[in-house]
Amino acid sequence: MKKKQEQTASFMVRFNQQIFEENGESKIQWKGKISHVQNGDEKRFSDFNDALTFMQIRLGELTEEATKHQTSEEQESIINKSLSMWKTIKDVGPKVIRDTLKDPKKQFTNLQGEIQGKIMTIGEEISEKVQIDQWRNASRSDFNTIQKQIEMLSSEIKKVATKIDSIKNN
Amino acid sequence: MSDFHQQLLELQTFQENAQIRIETLGNFGVWRNQQKIEAKEWTRDKTIQLLQYLVSNRQRNALHKEKIMDGLWEDWNDRDFKVALHGINKVLEPERPSRTEAMFTIRQGVSYQINLDKVWIDVEALEKYIIIGNEALILDKAISKKAYKAALNLYKGSYLPNRVYEDWTSEEREKVQLLVLGTYITLAEITLKENPLESIRLAQNALAIDATWEDAYRIQMQAYILKGNRPQAIKTYMKCEVILEEEYGIAPLPETKKLLKEIEEIH
Repeated sequence: MKKKQEQTASFMVRFNQQIFEENGESKIQWKGKISHVQNGDEKRFSDFNDALTFMQIRLGELTEEATKHQTSEEQESIINKSLSMWKTIKDVGPKVIRDTLKDPKKQFTNLQGEIQGKIMTIGEEISEKVQIDQWRNASRSDFNTIQKQIEMLSSEIKKVATKIDSIKNN
Repeated sequence: MSDFHQQLLELQTFQENAQIRIETLGNFGVWRNQQKIEAKEWTRDKTIQLLQYLVSNRQRNALHKEKIMDGLWEDWNDRDFKVALHGINKVLEPERPSRTEAMFTIRQGVSYQINLDKVWIDVEALEKYIIIGNEALILDKAISKKAYKAALNLYKGSYLPNRVYEDWTSEEREKVQLLVLGTYITLAEITLKENPLESIRLAQNALAIDATWEDAYRIQMQAYILKGNRPQAIKTYMKCEVILEEEYGIAPLPETKKLLKEIEEIH
């Protein structure tokens, strides 16, 4: 049996609130920092979904580490069961896309980092299946919405890429 | 002598005369009758862990033995606890006659706590100095500054840095860090007009703890302007803008932008 410490992930989350006036309107800004106690990793966020993603990645790594000596089928099954408990991913997914539309450059870098990390740690085969499983409960209209949003996202990324190129050339 | 003066004096006297002094900020060390206790005296790391756990939870009511053990070790038995507790008492009171109550750890049935009336602990003193500073802030700024400075002198680094990966230390570490950040900023604000250079230094110390602490950038901008260094004030804003963009993907607050505008309008 695995030791309790190896099966535990603790997170410290700090929220910092700023209320201010802008254009005659009261506004609120939240800034936060999340730390993973056991390995010291930290991430700052202004959107709580980033903190959730941070937690999910660390918890995924924990499950992966605890099941590394099992067969790939067993490991896959456990990871899938673990994922099914993280129902929030269904909320996080669309939100990540929305945020990508708001700030494609930043979000694209984040996603790239996360995907790279996942591929390196979980392995190609499981990684592919996990992604499909995350969307198992999505309806046809959900897929249509996602498709539209991805198309919009692609167009935004193209625009950003053009801008970056023009900045580089200047 | 005012109440605040008296309280400061008492804290100072306690620090100087306490038989047992425990430092947890930046490093861990225990002094018995002004002599530092050597590492070898502790014999087992579990003894040190138990003492540090009691320090971390010192403001809660006496902690039940099982709760302490669950928080500290995954596999434990009564013997582990007894040996560790005995280890603490032996190190803190080597001359204590057998069958007498320990002086520095308090036992109530099967619950335990540190005797805060007899043991001086840096984090406890730091918090008390800050409380005096906050309470005196409106009535007596001089006392307030003195108290804040005394608190910041105790901050030599993060709480129990060698236990950073133990979750039972996180809460205290976070609490102390926020208290210290707030104190640097408040002291920098009340020092600003009479000593802008000192305000810059205090704000810099806050930024060394958290580089995204926007208040600290604003204070530095104001201080540089008071020193007549407009370029440096603008440079400070730029630094703030870059770090907020990098870390959060957000722009500085309108208050900070407004300050920049005021600085830019100075000729």
